[in-house]
Amino acid sequence: MNLEPTYQHFGENGVLINWSSKIDSLINDEVLNMDRLISKTFESRIIELVPSYQSLAVYLKEGESASNFIQLLKELPVSETIGSQNTKRLLTIPVCYDLQYALDIEALALANKITVKKVIELHTRETYKVYFLGFLPGFPYLGGLNKSLSTPRKSTPRQNIEKGSVAIGGGQTGIYTVDSPGGWNVIGKSPIDFFSTESRFRCLLKPGDLVRFNSISTKTYKRIKTEVVAGTFKVEKEAYYD
Amino acid sequence: MIEVVSGGLYTSMQDLGRYGYRRYGVPLSGAMDSYSARLANQLIGNFEGEALMEITHIGPVLRFKNSTEIAITGAGFVPTLNDVEVSLNTRTYVPKDGILKFGLPGYGLRAYLSVLGGFNSEKKLGSYSQYFGITKKETIEKGDSFVLKPHKGKPHTATASFKVSKNHFSSNSIDVFAGPEFRLVSKSIQKKILETELTIGSESNRMAYILKGWDGVSAQEIITAPVQPGTVQLTPSGQCLVLMRDAQTTGGYARILQLTESSINSISQKRAGTVLHFKLIDYPS
Repeated sequence: MNLEPTYQHFGENGVLINWSSKIDSLINDEVLNMDRLISKTFESRIIELVPSYQSLAVYLKEGESASNFIQLLKELPVSETIGSQNTKRLLTIPVCYDLQYALDIEALALANKITVKKVIELHTRETYKVYFLGFLPGFPYLGGLNKSLSTPRKSTPRQNIEKGSVAIGGGQTGIYTVDSPGGWNVIGKSPIDFFSTESRFRCLLKPGDLVRFNSISTKTYKRIKTEVVAGTFKVEKEAYYD
Repeated sequence: MIEVVSGGLYTSMQDLGRYGYRRYGVPLSGAMDSYSARLANQLIGNFEGEALMEITHIGPVLRFKNSTEIAITGAGFVPTLNDVEVSLNTRTYVPKDGILKFGLPGYGLRAYLSVLGGFNSEKKLGSYSQYFGITKKETIEKGDSFVLKPHKGKPHTATASFKVSKNHFSSNSIDVFAGPEFRLVSKSIQKKILETELTIGSESNRMAYILKGWDGVSAQEIITAPVQPGTVQLTPSGQCLVLMRDAQTTGGYARILQLTESSINSISQKRAGTVLHFKLIDYPS
């Protein structure tokens, strides 16, 4: 697999770094390595970086030359940009799959010719990778959905999907981190806060994180919700070596 | 303090954008026409990224509870202060209890109102720009009120006024760079994209402008990747979207072209129905 990136201009103050056009965890690791390396090496020249599956946008400060910056990137030692190992975090996200929150779980089970119980079992069994955040503030693009759960988006999107809703759209699963209109099939809801600007900026998930879903009862959902409001709930996080 | 007597069609608080949070999926936001917004703050002696009102097509009515100074830039509104016409692109004194009205613009679409010191509006993640889910309010409405901040900028020069080039509003040629996927579409489609006249659709807003006229042109979806204001997307069904300041940070449509910053400002002043065309320019080597 080719892990060498290419570089191109992206607007007057932007540089786009591209890897092979596929969704692959190893390629995404390279994107996230480069993301760290550039923010560390060129801190004074850049405003911000936006990683995605196999691409990384670098937004430069006004007055910086994108052409010069591309040259600097090409001169980075290859050993520093390829294949560095990083410890990941594994987060356990509590999700209530009860029908009152799982608005589309019965329809999704029917469409995939499996039981609701099987949907929950398959969804909680996998470990998902946060490739990057986009679409909505804090929204994680998660890789790793079991193929038997792949379900087309709803033909008519909902006007509002409540924050915390866990959903499936095509071959992807994700979490609506803020209230939003949306066309994904809602299969559960998490009581925790993923994104907040209330008292301070908080964004729970970061690119490269690993995520597991843990099925909880309605009673536990309500208890955790109370703890989240009181600010006493702690999401289970552990170090993960791959 | 300034009281909002009527909000107008779409009035919002903006600055030059919310930088540093795009990796978290938070849109950049900020003044659609950053050129006119900077000018409004410069005329008054404010920091150029100070909070100011972006006024769209139908202007608001504002009551000033304190005397202050203002500057209005951008679209060709004919604002009045206590029923006396106010000049654009200069500094104007506003007496206590002054009533400022905007009406409709003769040319352009968006005006910017700066006040001495700036509006003490809600600041979230380092920016005053209003955006759904980030700030409590998305737009400025009737009944809102804003305290004015103390003026900390440069002292005034005696005759601060500015002549804005009419080209900013009238030019229908939009400078663009090739987008990341431009070379991936066929030569004949590239030619069509650059030669066809396009019309701005009425659904256009702060997130995206919809352009019509590229019949028979389309591109396959891409793996979701970064986009920014000024990215021109071409969809599989042939729709052409020019992403604007409130656009998402990543997207899955082919990024066919990329507007220059100056072109984003220029297109921000164009109304639905305006006909324009793209002019390809090279990146500096």
